[in-house]
Amino acid sequence: MDIILNNLPLLWTGLLRTLELAVVTLVGSTVISVIFGLAGVARSRVLRLVSMAYVEFFRDIPLIVNVLFVYFGAPLIGVSLDPFGAATISFSLWGGANGAEIVRSGFNAVPRHQEQSAMALGLKPWEIMWYVLAPQALLPIIPPFTGLFSLLIQATSLASMVGAMEFFRSAQIIVERTTMMTGFSPAFMVYGFVLLVYFVICASLSALTKLLEKRLSERQTRRRGTAAPIPQPAQESI
Amino acid sequence: MSYDFSLEYIFENAPLLLDGFLMTIWVSVISIAISVVIGVCGAAIRLLRIPVLSQLVAAYVHFIRSTPLLPQIFFIFYGLASIGIPLSSFWAGVLALSIWGGAYNVENVRGGFLAISKGLHEAAESLAFSPFHYLWLVAVPLGVRVSLPSMLNTAVSVLKNSAYLQAIGLAELTFVAMDKVSLEFRTLEMFAAIGVLYLGLVLTLSILVRELEKVLQRPFRP
Repeated sequence: MDIILNNLPLLWTGLLRTLELAVVTLVGSTVISVIFGLAGVARSRVLRLVSMAYVEFFRDIPLIVNVLFVYFGAPLIGVSLDPFGAATISFSLWGGANGAEIVRSGFNAVPRHQEQSAMALGLKPWEIMWYVLAPQALLPIIPPFTGLFSLLIQATSLASMVGAMEFFRSAQIIVERTTMMTGFSPAFMVYGFVLLVYFVICASLSALTKLLEKRLSERQTRRRGTAAPIPQPAQESI
Repeated sequence: MSYDFSLEYIFENAPLLLDGFLMTIWVSVISIAISVVIGVCGAAIRLLRIPVLSQLVAAYVHFIRSTPLLPQIFFIFYGLASIGIPLSSFWAGVLALSIWGGAYNVENVRGGFLAISKGLHEAAESLAFSPFHYLWLVAVPLGVRVSLPSMLNTAVSVLKNSAYLQAIGLAELTFVAMDKVSLEFRTLEMFAAIGVLYLGLVLTLSILVRELEKVLQRPFRP
């Protein structure tokens, strides 16, 4: 236990960087997921195909390969990225692919007659989108997006592979340093502690997800008499 | 800045990549098999509500699903070694992936068990089936069938996540490629090669899952 107490400042800084990275990538993911999610429900076939290809590509390539590629591949186009920059880009691309699926299933869950009624009332396409579809589609995707945030926090541990000084990397450094200095490895203790911290954060987030789901279905029951099913796209796992 | 993409370079290194590819498949297949066993046993424990064990399984599933895989791998490889249980990177990898995939499979199979209609449970009870008989003769054949697609999705994830094992030095596909990149700097060629291999593998499996879903749905369609 001493080993953790002695290194608490380093772990704390790492944890803050992890949370920072997760928040920044959540913003990036959200932007990408709205773009590709909307493309996924567009009338144009080409747009739908592009969205599908994007989602499949980033979900099928192991995330770690994605991170390594962005980090080591960036110099090829003349850009040099620091570990955090590379991690932000690759996690946003990946989170965007998962988020696009959530946005798409949110729009698909809006009953067809809503769009048809809006058209019959003579609303313009952008008005249908903005006043009718988006408000109904975006509320139910809030719980899955908190799930995505928890997934992104877990994903940030991969940034350690390109040397970003986040939470897991600081733990690795503590283990390496102590092993070198004392000849005895505190890996069991330190990595066990790391897992516990991740657990506390992500378990609280999934509790929040459940709470939001419950509130949402109560709200819908009040308004419509029945609760619409909350979209549950195939969850990616990390 | 120009970069000449050389396809020959990929072919020159094909035997090396193939070795890595086979290692990826080998470690994944063993882990998937173990994780399926964990999944069925864990879900059975949850279904039968065996005291203590059932809560332990629930805690295990919750813990594994709420923590990232990479620290789990490090905990098993370095952590166990530091308290006197050294494992080779291969077996540490198998252990980590099996435990991880097993947690997801418990939920998959449990979902299948829960999908079985109440009527069947009541029928089994009225025929004086013991809980164990119900499990073996009703729940497993029907529940596993229902959960097969989601179990295959987990299997695909295990296969993909075997790439994490490069971090503990297992010579699988990603490791082999990264090793080459750090020596010869043919970044684009190597990543293109492993990208195509992973995409091919995962896409093939996903298409199979979709086909299987259709086949399994057949008896339930009007």
